[in-house]
Amino acid sequence: MQSANMLLKKMARRSVLLFAAQHGLKKDLFPLSRTLSLSLPLKQDNSCSPSEKLDLDAWKKVMKSGLQEVPERKELSELDGAREILEMWRLAGRAVPEKISEDQLKTFMECPSKSAKKKYLKFLHIRELQKKNDRRKLDEKKERRLQAQEQVSKADDENKTKSFMCMLSSGMDRAYSWRAAQSMVFGQPLVFDMSYEKDMSVREVTNTVKQIVLSEGCNRRSMDPFHIHFCNLRDDSLYHREFVKFYREAWGKLLITVTDQCYTEVFPKDKLIYLTADSPKVMKTFDHDKVYIVGSMVDKSIKTGVSLARAKRLGLETAALPLEKYLLWNSGAKNLTLDQMMHILLTLKDTGDWKAALEFVPKRKYCGFVNKPVSELQKTLNLMNTLKLGRRREETQKQFAKNYSKKLKHK
Amino acid sequence: VQPPERPLQAEEWNRLRESFQSPHMFEEVMFNSMVKYNSPVDVAKSLLTHVANSNGDIAYNLLLKYLALCVQQGQTSEICDLYDIMKFRFKKLESGAYNLFIRGLSNSDQWRMALTLLEEVKTVTVPSRTNYECCIIAAGRHQEMKLAFGLYHEMLAKDLVPSSIVLQALFDFNRGIKDAKLQKELFDVLFYLRDNQIHPHRAFMWSIKLWFESIPGGKWKGHLTNIKESGQCPVCNHQLENSDLTEEEYNNLREKIIKDVIHGTDTFRKTSPKEFEAFQTFVEDRLPFDIVIDGLNVSHIKPRKMQCENLFDAVNCLAKENVRLLVLGRKHMLVNSSNWRKEIMKEMQNKADFFFADNISEDDAFLLYATLRSGKHCKFVTRDFLRDHKACLSDSVTRQLFHKWQRGHQIAFSCSVEGRSIHFLPALCYDVVVQTSGNTWHIPYRDTLEDKNSYRIPRKWLCIQQK
Repeated sequence: MQSANMLLKKMARRSVLLFAAQHGLKKDLFPLSRTLSLSLPLKQDNSCSPSEKLDLDAWKKVMKSGLQEVPERKELSELDGAREILEMWRLAGRAVPEKISEDQLKTFMECPSKSAKKKYLKFLHIRELQKKNDRRKLDEKKERRLQAQEQVSKADDENKTKSFMCMLSSGMDRAYSWRAAQSMVFGQPLVFDMSYEKDMSVREVTNTVKQIVLSEGCNRRSMDPFHIHFCNLRDDSLYHREFVKFYREAWGKLLITVTDQCYTEVFPKDKLIYLTADSPKVMKTFDHDKVYIVGSMVDKSIKTGVSLARAKRLGLETAALPLEKYLLWNSGAKNLTLDQMMHILLTLKDTGDWKAALEFVPKRKYCGFVNKPVSELQKTLNLMNTLKLGRRREETQKQFAKNYSKKLKHK
Repeated sequence: VQPPERPLQAEEWNRLRESFQSPHMFEEVMFNSMVKYNSPVDVAKSLLTHVANSNGDIAYNLLLKYLALCVQQGQTSEICDLYDIMKFRFKKLESGAYNLFIRGLSNSDQWRMALTLLEEVKTVTVPSRTNYECCIIAAGRHQEMKLAFGLYHEMLAKDLVPSSIVLQALFDFNRGIKDAKLQKELFDVLFYLRDNQIHPHRAFMWSIKLWFESIPGGKWKGHLTNIKESGQCPVCNHQLENSDLTEEEYNNLREKIIKDVIHGTDTFRKTSPKEFEAFQTFVEDRLPFDIVIDGLNVSHIKPRKMQCENLFDAVNCLAKENVRLLVLGRKHMLVNSSNWRKEIMKEMQNKADFFFADNISEDDAFLLYATLRSGKHCKFVTRDFLRDHKACLSDSVTRQLFHKWQRGHQIAFSCSVEGRSIHFLPALCYDVVVQTSGNTWHIPYRDTLEDKNSYRIPRKWLCIQQK
């Protein structure tokens, strides 16, 4: 049975090959530029007689038929050319956005290298996908809400609940504003240093502003907000423009202090403490009489020592969060985002509890809290790693050694 | 998915497609696996026919995958057909398709078409390195050396860095050719290796050797050898170049180090202006030094020993008559602790000059400055490869100067496992680059392809001399 099958297979293959060869010969007789509009009859042929031999080059004819008129080649402008290339890349299945605006296209063309272009397109592509997803989710939600409303309206008068919700949120806003206003008079100052614009790319500045907006939001909602100062913020700076883009009219009504002065001019120097991950000094307790400064900087390319240099230049005291003391650090840089910093500082101010405050450090960056002697923790960590991922064990150990060996030696 | 072994009929494809879990991706996945398993083209063709007949069109990415399959199997006529079809269907092609076309055609007898395609790419974007390399190798294979070198120069002019494969191919294709012009071109390739401090790997070295020996009437002879510590070639007794920089290069390098490494964007990042000034006056007062030591780096050589003892051993080892030592450290070394004993520090300070930087300053930058300021004879001791400092330098020319200077002036050290003494590896007194004296060539080479670390210097040489 099997051998018979094989034989059949072989025969079939040979005949197909023979046919292909014949056809290849025939094909050569036709000049390639000549177009054959045979698509319809071909289709019928194949469907009518399935027993017939396969025409392996049929697809070529189909491809060459169809679009007959090739539009006149116009002299394309550079932008259109770029747009066309993007379209081809999209067809080829690369990570390219479907729609691209004129400005984005210009940014794309100004990218200095091929890899920069690729990266930018990927960024746009991912953002497009996210937006699409959000829109879809919103629509779904809307639909669900409509359905729910229909059901509710049958049973009850829905107007009441709606107005009640409205009042609640505006009341909350008023309460928050009241607290923020109070903090502007009595609150502890917290400074955001806005002098890093030239150290960052445009995207990094945008991200910085986004993070600051988040921090401002969580400060406003806290029980005892900081009095936020934006120092060194110039009116025509990129920071300022981005802020206005985010807050719009609310920018003028924010209950914070914005100034183009340096913090050294606003506060006495001996009260200032610059928070930076590069600081050799580690923060022990949160001091309610000091003014903490946070550098408004996102550094995707880990620029070590930029904010430390700034503090050194001004002769300020510096401090770093005691991350290694309380957390068993796993991976990632020790610089945290601005909103994480804000959460940590707010929690410290309210409770003074390091463990509660450092809950806001992203979980992926550490393995656990330090509550036992370090040596014991290392044992459990090793065990964990041998169980979990044999390969990466050494790496983690090395990381651990880097973080803790010095301290152990000192003790 | 395992692709079928023979071309299928339309309904067989249909059946397969329906049994597949996500039918809309079926063709794509199938083509991917065809490329992976290198299926016969006929199978792919039958799928294309099926797609064309059922949709009336074939998507660009499917054509691209079919093209990849054809290129993989060297189906030249199919590639040409595909080019016509794609050009007809899509007014413009993107770089991925061009890459495949050029690669596919350059390996065939239609290689001239690859050249026209290369011209086409140029109208859209800068061709990639591999685009050029495919064309160069194709031209070389057909003995069109002028064309090959033309493309090679064009590629260099566009700041594309040729891979060693294409450079090696240039030597292979020119074997046994007597043409003064081409010979000069290949000598220029060797100078390119020299200028960019590229060390060829073993196979590439053999190509160079064979080319030299094949020059008609050239009477070149190559030998593999190791250079003596004195810098003399044991085969031809030629003394290799030393790694000294010229006066101008030296001053250039020193200024760039001060500007880019020490000051950088902000002097406060690595030191402070006050501290740097203090250091400068300190160095000026005591010039010149013979050896500058990175104290903290040396002190970590044996982890079991006290850090100051390690440093003490090193200083004792290096201190000879009339040798002026400078040890760089940080202020925390002066505080009496379990690792840094005051008595020992005192004793050391009699034998060498010490400069203590702030605890948060970078002592490496000072190390570079002090060594460069002392003059050409001055060496420095550290196990650090100084890559981060090299990266701070703004232009590649200075980076290479730095690398050259580092090769000649860095004393590396290691400690023997059992013995108590520290073992110092003296800096090489000759320069490890491709070099010539007219009738000899000396070419350092690496043993393997992988050993690419630029900071590791090869010890093996090819000596070529003309008899």
